[in-house]
Amino acid sequence: MLIKTGIPTKEDIKGIVPSKERREKGPVAIIECFQEIPCNPCYTACKFGAIKEFENINQRPIIDFQLCTGCGQCLTKCPGLAIFIIDESYSDTEALVQIPYEFLPLPKEGIFVTGLNREGKPICRAKVVKVKQGKGENKTSVITLKVPIEYSMEVRFLNIEDYFSDNTIICRCEGITLGEIKNLIKEGYETIDEIKRISRAGMGPCQGRTCRHLLLQEIAKETGQNMKNMPMSTFRPPIKPINIGIIAGGEDDE
Amino acid sequence: MNKTAEVVIIGGGISGTSIAYNLAKKGVKDVVVVEKAYLASGATGRCGAGVRMQWGTERNCKLAKMSIEFYENANEELKYERDIEFNQGGYLLVAGTEKEDEQFKKNVKLQNSLGIPSVYLTPKEAKEIIPHMDESKIIGGTFCPKDGHLNPFHTTEAFAKAAKRLGVEFMTFTQVIGIETQGNKIKGVHTDRGYISTPIVVNAAGAHSKEIGKMVNIDIPIYSQRHQILVTEPVDPIQKPMYMGFSLNIYCQQTPHGSFIMGRGDDNEPKDLRVTSSWQFMEEMARTCSELLPLLSKLNIIRQWAGLYTMTADAQPIYGGVKELEGFYLAVGFSGHGFMLGPATGLLISEMILGETNTIDISDLDIYRFERGELVLEPSVV
Repeated sequence: MLIKTGIPTKEDIKGIVPSKERREKGPVAIIECFQEIPCNPCYTACKFGAIKEFENINQRPIIDFQLCTGCGQCLTKCPGLAIFIIDESYSDTEALVQIPYEFLPLPKEGIFVTGLNREGKPICRAKVVKVKQGKGENKTSVITLKVPIEYSMEVRFLNIEDYFSDNTIICRCEGITLGEIKNLIKEGYETIDEIKRISRAGMGPCQGRTCRHLLLQEIAKETGQNMKNMPMSTFRPPIKPINIGIIAGGEDDE
Repeated sequence: MNKTAEVVIIGGGISGTSIAYNLAKKGVKDVVVVEKAYLASGATGRCGAGVRMQWGTERNCKLAKMSIEFYENANEELKYERDIEFNQGGYLLVAGTEKEDEQFKKNVKLQNSLGIPSVYLTPKEAKEIIPHMDESKIIGGTFCPKDGHLNPFHTTEAFAKAAKRLGVEFMTFTQVIGIETQGNKIKGVHTDRGYISTPIVVNAAGAHSKEIGKMVNIDIPIYSQRHQILVTEPVDPIQKPMYMGFSLNIYCQQTPHGSFIMGRGDDNEPKDLRVTSSWQFMEEMARTCSELLPLLSKLNIIRQWAGLYTMTADAQPIYGGVKELEGFYLAVGFSGHGFMLGPATGLLISEMILGETNTIDISDLDIYRFERGELVLEPSVV
């Protein structure tokens, strides 16, 4: 429910997405404006007549994808930061996503950041290929991210931290990094139990409270499985570390 | 997906992978290992990981010595890119009763006669080796510096990877559902992922080896029993050797990682295939540990788990073929020390299959010794 969560539903998205053929042709504006509000700067910004004239000011924008050149004028003008430029013609495996950005500091070109989905959840690693600093009245900057092509219609914001770096620690107790986990999966250890036993990930004092889900997520991603159908590692007692002396009954808890 | 193999090994634990490696090394092509879950998912991966030469029967002493000597060079021999983490910190066996103390003195004589460098120690001498022990709880002890421990997952992986390089195929997450025979000969193995035509089957299925025997109407005189174990948080190294007592009912070792692993036996444990954990174990273990190694009572327990001992009447393994069925070999009933005997098991069973003379005579560890009543009981088992 967009009205309650601010997150568009799959149906909402379906209604505004250009065809795959159009997306593969080159840059195109995706207008994720789902609420009737009195606002029309996108229409006035468009120099190609792709965004139709509003019949009344409350109307949601209507875009003709064949006329849209993906120039990005509308993107910087939308006060709701609801417009993105997607370019799936970039390569067979990667797409460019232009995102309006109004935070400081701006990321530097060339660094890796984390692509976030419409719910704000980290979903992939993204490279900052261009940073266009905001000018004009509203000073909206535009960040161009390079993302895996399957995420072009998912990545809608970024976190300046590189969560999906190979150096990111997945298991904090044992200091096991994402890169190590990925290598183990590549080597053929495709269950959480095997990865746990070979690397110690999940064997520390927290007993995998954080990492077991991250591990499963990573295995799912790398092997193309659904997390729901994958076996989780066994939950073993005690749930929290507990002192031997206390269990033995001979000592007071200090 | 049907296939043909020269040998099918049932069980991907230390025994199965070691047998596979040895067969392949001796030039046997088309060896297939069938494992129900992943490698070392059964008793191997759940064990206390200690290895010792200090046994009470000549057979166990020799088998263990052979295995430990293999482990000393296993990283190189198996060309393992990681580390099996073999660490020879020794084993301190402690006697809790006069009778046990007498037995220990006899054991040391036997061990020394076989070239095992164990020594008898007074409680005071024992305390010098593990300063945080309460020496008043023991009558005496024996120590062998060649004993130690290693990582069971990595060790099994090391055998498996070396075997794979020599052409062995591993079918993990594959369950054996039947064995095809014709007259007194093996024809093949049915799995949930297809049929494997083969003249030779090795039963190295650990706690499940009795079920495998039933598939060919052979009643193996073994039973499974749960044993539990716990691990603490890691701390700086303070205890080099394993501390182990039979009548005192404890084994306790600090791993290279820093955590302490400890376990004990309990006659009341269920004799089936359950590997659940019980609170009774944690309580009993905590009491035993606090009494014998008081300093360790300050540590936090991180996790407990269970595994299965596959017991025989004399606590020694069953090795070899059976009269009723040609091509059916047993490597079962390790009674809690299958991991440490892994290298010997692999070599000896591969020799048997190929009709070679065994490096160590194990003809009296056959399945028929129980009928003959020729049992030499191993006294040194936790």
